[in-house]
Amino acid sequence: MKKLFNITCKHTTYLISKKEDRKIRLIDRLKLQMHLGICSACKLFENQSWFIKLNAKQSHEHITASLSSEAKEKIEIALKNAQ
Amino acid sequence: METKNKLQATDWVNNYSDALYKYTVVRVSDTGIAEDIVQETFLSAWRNKDNFKGEASEKNWLYTICKNKIIDYYRKKGSSIISYANEDASDNFFDDAEHWTKNDSPKEWGINYQQQVEKKEFYTILEKCKGKLQQMQQSVFVMKYLEDLETEEICKVLGITSSNYWVLIHRAKLGLRTCLEKNWVNI
Repeated sequence: MKKLFNITCKHTTYLISKKEDRKIRLIDRLKLQMHLGICSACKLFENQSWFIKLNAKQSHEHITASLSSEAKEKIEIALKNAQ
Repeated sequence: METKNKLQATDWVNNYSDALYKYTVVRVSDTGIAEDIVQETFLSAWRNKDNFKGEASEKNWLYTICKNKIIDYYRKKGSSIISYANEDASDNFFDDAEHWTKNDSPKEWGINYQQQVEKKEFYTILEKCKGKLQQMQQSVFVMKYLEDLETEEICKVLGITSSNYWVLIHRAKLGLRTCLEKNWVNI
């Protein structure tokens, strides 16, 4: 029984992504829950994965980047020529 | 008429080019490619502006075109990468028994993991860490977490199987997490 539910940290972290996507079988879900209940490192991985997912999406709103005036001019010329 | 068009072109570039550029550069991680994609976005929109029905806002319309250009870029990139499955050392995170090694075992970051970060420093480091990922890992990560595409769609665009996808996204997350822990979190 113990062996049936015994999974490694590598496999656990793999299943965490599958769970996010709701592509996980019931047996794997149970194994995952059992492992996360006893392994603090994998539990941290799950929390930190969630954190990365939550924040990655907003990246473009927070970075400092802008087109150079040359690049903008190039686009304007291209648009003018496309008419 | 020509003056009006000229005005509109200038307005478009002034109003939207920086926002589209930011949107693109975090997705392709290359300033030159991002510039090209923004230019192509404007050109496509310009050529089709008579078809713009005003159902969405002009801004959303441009974003939709831009998003499609980014996916096209990934499609081309996916088909040009032949070998990717075993190119990195992610397995080093785990020991022979497939449990975390002492060095790579996740540490507590001391933050609320449910909270959005406002500090620019975090996003600069996230970009750098993303840039360090192997190319296909970066592609799946961006398409999944930035573009919000379904897994099946990502596999189709990149020409990979779903098991390739799971391995790639798994490795991308392992790599990003470790890089953030080393460079952003002060433990």
